[in-house]
Amino acid sequence: MTPALRVDGLGKIYGPGTTADVAGTGPGFNRVVSPTSGGIVAAWDVSFEVGPGEALGVIGESGSGKSTVMRCICGDEEPTTGSIRLASVDGGGTDLRTLSPARRRALRVDRLAVVYQDPAEGLDLRLSAGGNVAERLTAAGWRNFGRIRERASELMLRTDVPLDRMDDPVREFSGGMRQRVQLAKALANNPPVVLLDEPTTGLDASVAASVLDLIRDLLEELGVAAVVVSHDFAVIEMLTQRVVVMHHGRIVEAGLTDQLLEDPQHPYSQRLVGAARG
Amino acid sequence: MTLLDPTISPVALLAADTSSRELLDEFSKREIRRAVLTAVAVPGYQVPFASREMPVARGWGSGGLQITLALVGPEDTVKVIDQGEDAGVNAANLRRLIADTTGVDTTTVAGEATIVQTRHRVPEDALGDDQILVLQVPVPEPLRGVERDMTELRRMHAEGDYARMWVSLYEDLVRNGVITQTTGYPCLVGGRYVMATTPIPRWDIPKLHRSAHLSLFGAGREKRIYAVPPHTDVEPLTFDDVPFEVERTEGASCHRCGAGSPDSGVESFLVELPGTEGGRWVCSDTDWCNRRLSSGMVAR
Amino acid sequence: MAEHRTVKLEVQGLHKSFVLHAVDGRRINALNGIDLAIHTGEHVALVGSSGAGKSTLLKSVYRTYLPDSGTVTLRLAAGAAVELTGLEDRELVALRVREIGYVSQFLRSEPRRSVRDTVARAGRRRGLDHDASLDAAAEILRRLGIGENLWRSYPSLLSGGEKQRVNLASGIICPPGLLLLDEPVSALDPANRESVLALIAELTSWGTTVLAVFHDLDAIERLADRVVLLSGGTVAESGHPTDVLRTLTNPLGAIA
Repeated sequence: MTPALRVDGLGKIYGPGTTADVAGTGPGFNRVVSPTSGGIVAAWDVSFEVGPGEALGVIGESGSGKSTVMRCICGDEEPTTGSIRLASVDGGGTDLRTLSPARRRALRVDRLAVVYQDPAEGLDLRLSAGGNVAERLTAAGWRNFGRIRERASELMLRTDVPLDRMDDPVREFSGGMRQRVQLAKALANNPPVVLLDEPTTGLDASVAASVLDLIRDLLEELGVAAVVVSHDFAVIEMLTQRVVVMHHGRIVEAGLTDQLLEDPQHPYSQRLVGAARG
Repeated sequence: MTLLDPTISPVALLAADTSSRELLDEFSKREIRRAVLTAVAVPGYQVPFASREMPVARGWGSGGLQITLALVGPEDTVKVIDQGEDAGVNAANLRRLIADTTGVDTTTVAGEATIVQTRHRVPEDALGDDQILVLQVPVPEPLRGVERDMTELRRMHAEGDYARMWVSLYEDLVRNGVITQTTGYPCLVGGRYVMATTPIPRWDIPKLHRSAHLSLFGAGREKRIYAVPPHTDVEPLTFDDVPFEVERTEGASCHRCGAGSPDSGVESFLVELPGTEGGRWVCSDTDWCNRRLSSGMVAR
Repeated sequence: MAEHRTVKLEVQGLHKSFVLHAVDGRRINALNGIDLAIHTGEHVALVGSSGAGKSTLLKSVYRTYLPDSGTVTLRLAAGAAVELTGLEDRELVALRVREIGYVSQFLRSEPRRSVRDTVARAGRRRGLDHDASLDAAAEILRRLGIGENLWRSYPSLLSGGEKQRVNLASGIICPPGLLLLDEPVSALDPANRESVLALIAELTSWGTTVLAVFHDLDAIERLADRVVLLSGGTVAESGHPTDVLRTLTNPLGAIA
């Protein structure tokens, strides 16, 4: 089974550090900042794969490197080392890092969608909800106004955005509604891989719950491969079957989600689960 | 040396040099011609150039003027129009300036000109392959309305990423039911670059598509030159199911030559005469209208 | 009879301990070398005192607990045998959908999803199409005594017994080849307990293999083909229900 997304040995160092500094950082040293150079080893030796219809959780505290990993995968950041492959690109034979920036960006249209914590990152708030979806569709070559409207309406229905608000500027929307529009936009061209970065963090509890329900339903129905980055066990438990635990930029444990919650192996995972479960 | 003679002021010396009345020196002309050649080689791409100070305000045709001045030679005949009119103050002044500083012949007849410099119009009659149309451009960037960041603009053009341009058309249609952009309608040139068509009306856009003549666009204030070479596709951006339509005023016809009336059999771009309350219309292209009248094609 | 059937699940030398890093790295041994073979269509009941390792065994087979050593070999519906303890996580996730089901005594239903939808979705995960899943969910809920008036409610609003039945319904819709049941009738009143037991009996008659933990001996006597007594994380005894249960009710034998 070819994974839809495969990440191998991904690493990201910010600042002046070199790979020589990696040895002095990580969970064993309880730090990500290299004492010799001051470089920040935000993520190192991160590997995982996700298959179609599967959701992988990436859990960790803030600063653990989970968002860095996500940003490296989608191309918002250039990793220091490692490879990223998509089954939809050359059958997984090409490391995305070898692609030109233009081709890399083009993948975001229909191969690799991202849902950010902050809707302003994934949406143009000045445009209408439908316009945001239209941007993805026109980027994929859609040139028929009627069909664009139809597809946008379909996505609004699917993400529970009232149709009578489809033509309103997103800036007039509530946080939860913006997040739904962001989902509609991300899914516009049926991308086989979706990355979700803290998709419900910052929303009111009841709004977060309904957005979470929506994401769960969409993941189940669309058969996409998803990576869900979150610090929240409730989100990870509800959306994912497998999970990796990140700490000081490294994966300290990888396993089944229920296994991590009931039988965490690594001391850090046990602490994390213990804290979450009270 | 006279320069060292304290009794002669340097200003008087410079004023006394009347060997050339030209506004552009040969180096400047060469640089502009190079920019023009690059523009022709990459249709629709905005080529930066070192826009010179001209004795007209920037934004008042200084870009078009520099192109014309860089291209004219002794054999050329120049026509200058403003909104289709040869007699407009702006057009008349520019024409006189060009003639005075280069010594070329001028004309108001489109067919006689080798270079037609224009603001906001393309002549009604198709130009030939021995003619050059020079358009004065105030805002050369078609994406200005959707993006302000220059780096991002350059990226969008480089990658042919015009999704946001399409979205602006989408939003326009959603808000207004029609695409409201009337002048300067964005067009895809040669299937590659989206170009601003200056404030020419939609009526004129088909005249740029696969035309025999060369069109050059000069923006003096923004320091950009771009081109549509002969026989190049100029396709207005529009959705498959929302046809691109040119302006037509129902029931209007030129009160002079009758163009636009059902029995005239011809149409031209009409403008309303000021102060006539939706009553009297006239051809925007005065030369075309005059020739119709003088040829006797029109019964008065 | 059993000798003629194929082995569905074979557990060999299974060890499981828990290391409590928060409590000076203390290690607690839960399973100390379990050996167990279950045939296709067999219903095996696990008994033993609290802490004997019954639930730990179920969860170790399902891999909610990660075994330390030993093997768990499952024969798939297609005939191939797969060793579960060393299986890639991704492959295990896939197996859990169709080959192994686990029903705990606690409702693990997802929040804010209606009763019928909860059950129907479980059916869809196992390959039913949308309409078939709704029909199957309706049928199974009816049989378990969950009235239509409850189908649109969220399981969180139900009574303990109702939750337990919804949970069971999700577990046995389109039943997987191996069903792990952890006290599925602990909160049920006698009438509902009856319908649940009847349904489980029916499943095994259709060929589903069951490894179960029941808290009441009556259920075991009625359903189990074999009873395995666990004691101190090992198999102390295995045999016909009446034989093993006799040992169990014997005051001396009960001290496991």
